[in-house]
Amino acid sequence: MKAMGVIFSNIYDSTLGELTNHRTVASLPFGGRYRQIDFILSNLSNSGIYKVGLVTKYNYRSLMDHLGSAADWDLRRKNEGLVILPPFASGNTGVYKGKLEALYSAVSFIDNPYYDYVVVCDSTVLCNIDFKPAIESHIKSGADVTVISNRELNDNAKKHPLIIYADKKGKAESILIDSPSDEMSYVGMGMFIIKRQLLVDVINDSHSKGLVHFEKDYLQRYFNNGLLKVSVYEFKGIVLRNENIKSYYANNMALLQEKTRNGLFGKNPIYTKVRDEMPTYYGDDSDIANCIIADGCKLHGKVSDSILFRDITVNEGASIKSSIIMQGARIGKNAKLECVILDKNVIVTDNAELKGTPEHPVIVKKGATV
Amino acid sequence: MLFRKKDCVAMILAGGQGSRLMVLTENTAKPAVPFGGKYRLIDFPLSNCVHSGIDTVGILTQYQPLQLNEYIGNGMPWGLNSANGGIHVLSPYSKSESSEWYKGTANAIFQNISFIDRYNPDNVLILSGDHIYKMDYAEMLRAHNKKKADCTIAVLDVSLEEASRFGIMNTKGDGRVIEFEEKPKNPKSTKASMGIYIFKWSVLKKYLIADNEDPESSNDFGKNIIPRLIEDQYKLYAYSFDGYWKDVGTIDSLWQSNMDILGDDPKFDLFDGDKKIYSRNYAHPSSYIAKGAKIVNSYIAEGSVVYGNVYNSIISTGCTVGKNAEISNSFVMPNAEIGRNSVIKYAIIGEDSVVNANARIGDLPEFYDKSKWGIAVVGKDKVVPQNRILLPKEIF
Repeated sequence: MKAMGVIFSNIYDSTLGELTNHRTVASLPFGGRYRQIDFILSNLSNSGIYKVGLVTKYNYRSLMDHLGSAADWDLRRKNEGLVILPPFASGNTGVYKGKLEALYSAVSFIDNPYYDYVVVCDSTVLCNIDFKPAIESHIKSGADVTVISNRELNDNAKKHPLIIYADKKGKAESILIDSPSDEMSYVGMGMFIIKRQLLVDVINDSHSKGLVHFEKDYLQRYFNNGLLKVSVYEFKGIVLRNENIKSYYANNMALLQEKTRNGLFGKNPIYTKVRDEMPTYYGDDSDIANCIIADGCKLHGKVSDSILFRDITVNEGASIKSSIIMQGARIGKNAKLECVILDKNVIVTDNAELKGTPEHPVIVKKGATV
Repeated sequence: MLFRKKDCVAMILAGGQGSRLMVLTENTAKPAVPFGGKYRLIDFPLSNCVHSGIDTVGILTQYQPLQLNEYIGNGMPWGLNSANGGIHVLSPYSKSESSEWYKGTANAIFQNISFIDRYNPDNVLILSGDHIYKMDYAEMLRAHNKKKADCTIAVLDVSLEEASRFGIMNTKGDGRVIEFEEKPKNPKSTKASMGIYIFKWSVLKKYLIADNEDPESSNDFGKNIIPRLIEDQYKLYAYSFDGYWKDVGTIDSLWQSNMDILGDDPKFDLFDGDKKIYSRNYAHPSSYIAKGAKIVNSYIAEGSVVYGNVYNSIISTGCTVGKNAEISNSFVMPNAEIGRNSVIKYAIIGEDSVVNANARIGDLPEFYDKSKWGIAVVGKDKVVPQNRILLPKEIF
């Protein structure tokens, strides 16, 4: 039994606004030192899945820069490793709308007889998962497709892209698209296990029929017509979904809780690009409380309930509260920030003030001066 | 087999047991000793080599090489995993006629003549694996070539009192070395050898072979090779270096050099410029600083979780500082766990060690007789029990 992985890098680009204007959602920074894609790449690598295709659409320069040779995820390998699959990679494909369409450009990559199963994943659902038991469960269930899912009980009004109701053995009984969750439902985590040969057939068939979306056009439609056995594999750990600005902000803040941190980082290592930053320096007048702080910062001011990425300078008298500050920011003297998201390399001048709310954090564009 | 010719090959002497670092080097070679929160001593010469354009490096090691070997790996963290040259860990090995340990610094290079010959270099740079400094060897090499020297020795201007602890170079006005004195009682100059040499390979090779045949020789660069070259009228020049440099061979110097990176205008600035010190990075999440923690003039590396108070100290990667713990003027090595309410002053805490709750380790120098005070040390992989008191200078 051998499995390969396929990752989509641009699924929720449009819902993350300014943060994904110049990068894929996969390369969106998260949690101090990571990019979102680090989680799924580490999960695959930690599960012994070393053949990984990354389907890209546009804006993938920063993603390629981040990944380099993929050695940091142990995915630079002689016979396997990470392969980037850009659009237009094969003759008659182009920029796609849905996952099924996107997979058509990857079909020659996927159709490799050495692999029996394919783990198809989004890059926006962050967790620390071992795929080995999920694949075993898929084989045991005899299903055509296994949907890796969790339970989401606390946010009933919110609509999820994929909701499944299943029996006790995990056999799907109904599949809903864009639907709220409840106590009985499973919420799809954008991770599917499918037999390689079946996936290749599905991609080719969908191409002829003009089908676009994996969940709606294939999973739901074929299941409803009785053509597909779908199974659920329940993941019980911490799951963070960064689908829009609000959830992105809330999920970063969730890392301030020990339970979330342990759930996300406690099991297997999450790898990221090595940047050789210094450890962070805390000056005489720094006052830091309840913060995630990456390497390479120089801190002099007051920072609370915030996430600081690498290489950030906070000058004397500055105060940062409930904010996400991405790599390379310079925060001027006596500046005041509350509920803001600073994209990379932002300069906040002395005495500047910015204030948002947790529902609507102020977003400052990459490289801007405030 | 044809190898691409190299201008300069670097050889790092990393064989020392580091016995003066005691519990910190019981199971590890000195070059693998942690420094500055996320580095190990070997990172400094390696990063200097890379920034100086030297891409072929041999590391000579014979004492507890396991951790060092694992740390170096294929050299990727330093960009030394190249197809031509790259990094090579060179341990002593059995040969057809003899098999022996490295008997001295010169003997270690002698036993690896064939390694160096493969690259047919013009010059060989000899370095130590336990010095902390940032230096551009390319500039030293330029000076060496410009003077058409046979050997160039990097020197540091030390105070007259300190001079008797070093190998001292007595030079003429143009920097030519006319005499070398090992730890002189009455030093004539203050130019101390930093243990960094560039040799013309053809000359060095000849003298290494001759030195090996001399049963009286202690096979040491400072004691044997350099004096012989001076005697035989070769052109040796001193190359002055005025940056920060520290031999971290003792507990005190290891502690002091760690303290030297602290402050807004530190004696040794690791932040300056583009020339980062490279190191092998492990997958730690960013650090977490809890509410109620107080951190003043300190470095905290990634993967650390801090609930307590940290003053004038360095907390390395993957450490935990418990609630109400107080760490001051100390160096805590990677993955150490400091229990709640414990107080640590003027101490070094070894890698992977655990200090349980309410322990008291070390103290301020003010309260002690000078002869009785020193840095308290907890070794590697040690567990300090609850409520344990460790006096200054005490080793656990």
